[in-house]
Amino acid sequence: MACMPLVTSPPHFPVTAPRPAAGVLLPGRLDAEALHPALWRGHQFGRCAEPALASGFPVLDAQLPGGGWPHRVLTELLLPHPGVGEMRLLAPSLAATLRSGRLVMLFDPPATLSAWALAQLGLDAEQMLVVDGRSKVLPEASSLWALEQALRSGHVGAVLAWLPPRLRAERLRRLQLAAQAHDGPAFMLREMAARQLPTAAPLRLELQPAGADRLALHLLKRRGPPLAAPLRLALPPVLSAAARAKVAQLASVPTAQPLCAAAFVDLS
Amino acid sequence: MLWIALHLPLLSLESFAATLPPELRQMPLALVEARQIAQANASAQALGVKPGCKRATALGLAPRLVTAPADPLRDAQALQAVLHACLAFTPAVTVLPPSQALLEVQASLRYFGSLEPLLQRLGSALAPLGHAMQFASAPTAQGAALLSRMANVPAGLHCPDLRSLQTVLAAAPVELLGAGREHWEDLQGMGLRTIADLRRLPRAGLARRFGEALQGEIDRAFGERPDPRTWVSLTPTFEDRLELFASADTSEQVLHGAAVLLARLVAWLSAQHAFVRRFTLQLQHEARWRRSDTPPDTAIEIVLAAPSRDAAHLALLLRERLGRTQLVAPALELRLRADDIARAPPPNGELFPSALGEREGLTRLVERLQARLGRCQVQRLLRVHDHRPERSSALHEVDAGASPLLFGRPEAKRPGIDRHAQGTPITRPVWLIEPPQPLPDRRDQPLLDGMPLQLLSGPERIEAGWWDEGLAGRDYFIAKAPDDSLVWVYRLRLADLAPQARGWYLHGCFA
Repeated sequence: MACMPLVTSPPHFPVTAPRPAAGVLLPGRLDAEALHPALWRGHQFGRCAEPALASGFPVLDAQLPGGGWPHRVLTELLLPHPGVGEMRLLAPSLAATLRSGRLVMLFDPPATLSAWALAQLGLDAEQMLVVDGRSKVLPEASSLWALEQALRSGHVGAVLAWLPPRLRAERLRRLQLAAQAHDGPAFMLREMAARQLPTAAPLRLELQPAGADRLALHLLKRRGPPLAAPLRLALPPVLSAAARAKVAQLASVPTAQPLCAAAFVDLS
Repeated sequence: MLWIALHLPLLSLESFAATLPPELRQMPLALVEARQIAQANASAQALGVKPGCKRATALGLAPRLVTAPADPLRDAQALQAVLHACLAFTPAVTVLPPSQALLEVQASLRYFGSLEPLLQRLGSALAPLGHAMQFASAPTAQGAALLSRMANVPAGLHCPDLRSLQTVLAAAPVELLGAGREHWEDLQGMGLRTIADLRRLPRAGLARRFGEALQGEIDRAFGERPDPRTWVSLTPTFEDRLELFASADTSEQVLHGAAVLLARLVAWLSAQHAFVRRFTLQLQHEARWRRSDTPPDTAIEIVLAAPSRDAAHLALLLRERLGRTQLVAPALELRLRADDIARAPPPNGELFPSALGEREGLTRLVERLQARLGRCQVQRLLRVHDHRPERSSALHEVDAGASPLLFGRPEAKRPGIDRHAQGTPITRPVWLIEPPQPLPDRRDQPLLDGMPLQLLSGPERIEAGWWDEGLAGRDYFIAKAPDDSLVWVYRLRLADLAPQARGWYLHGCFA
């Protein structure tokens, strides 16, 4: 095949319609998009037939293939620890799911949930189900079984699951297969160490706090070109304007040195 | 009148096979009566085992032959389930022992359209019971019964009017007649091969020689004598038992036996168009080795959130429960009992996914999760009006059946939810740390992992609970952790009340 210059168009969004003149096989150039809906070029976003659920953050939506959280696949979120702003990131999409009358299920939340805090995020906690599979004899098997059942049933609107640490890759692949029946986003929250391991989920994000009420999002994997710089999102604020000013003022002052561990020597 | 007759030629063998574990069901099987083979299945007959040969001969031909005594009671139980399944189509069902069921369907024809769809529905309703069947339909009950024994074709023999029935019956061989069975060799010897030959004989002489029963059977089959029948009635509660051929050691084996009973339960339910709310499976255990005491029966009660008649769903719930139950000893006999039923209109079949279908699917999902994980592991989070954060949320177990409101309420707008979502700052952390984690402090500044926390907002005083045990007097602050995440810490106010519990505590993380 003759070497033809690739069209260097920026990734357009939403990529629903094929590019102009696609659908016709140009002489000498194979049009990948015209061949199969699952094919895309490296500089484009993957197309998905399923509608995606808007995340509520336009900056993020612009970078997600399909323009939001994808349906029928797993979305992996890697967190250093619970409490970096993950619920504030997901709250707008979960609230939209609840408003459309569908169920949100939480599996194995890592700490006690506060119903009033969820209400402040716009989530009606009473319409959500919390499933805890960890108290059983085989906690991992029970949790994953319950999660798989929920995904496979296809009746749940959105799923949030805190996966057990050091999960084997084939378990995740099994969940990914089950998620194909799940018409909604499925968020798998995992520990940061999983970053080094391959994943079956087509979308993987890393969440890091970046200042008070800010979140840095690294898109580690998506159906599309890699994104070098992390996205910085302004989360719904916890702090008042005065407190934010205090943070800015503190940031200009050199921060206190961490405590050095004292060395005790037994002199006796 | 139009009668459908069902003949189950292999009823005894099939009712015996139901008591076997599934890997044995394909083995050569035979039923023994008075040390002679009474019936043998196809794989036994392929080895040369024939009905009528001695048990010892049969075992010589097929050493792995599984034999068991014929049990009329077991057959009657299996036939009972078939009758129940038939009752869903007409109230006029009668039984002709040992292996026939008769249905009067003239009045049901208009509802089902015609005979053909009715037979199709009947066939699919009887399929879960797993019997080989021969169908026939005729204007007289006895005639249909005779035809069904004759009809060895899948579509069955159907005679819509009396004239065609009489023609077919006249040509039928005499061995079809139940009442003439004991005289069959005599009849053969007299050169009487068909029923027409019998009918040509003088009636008085025939009755004197072979009994009134034979004459009566022929007359009723040809529609020349009235044929009153008594209808099968339903028991108010379902109770059935299955004695297992080999004791069940694993829950998988128990489930195979229970599946037979569940199919019968579904037949009983469909007879009265009802759905089961709760049922109990009782396992009778065998006595332990060299111990006189038999372990007490294990009873497994399944309570359904939504009444159901779906055998697969019931089996699934039973499987999850059995997976959690430890069998104290191998099970010898299974008993299934159901008396709590709900009569409801049948569910509508839906072509496209709808809200109703989704709610039903969710109810089933919750049921399944609760069956395996336990009822209290599937919970809803409720808001409680209490200022103390640890008491302001409560987890309650979900009752999927009692709260259909739970799912799918697009119009349900709760007060306070949307108002809070409009840009007001979030003041409570999603994650609460229970119990609060004590923090060390240096120069009155709390430390987290050896690093000082920067207090950004506060104090917010929460002082409540003087009326109960959980007295709390705390000043809450929002603080920034070294890695820029926000945490919620408090300082105890009433240090003098609890001197050992003073200082700083970490109580939540803003997620």
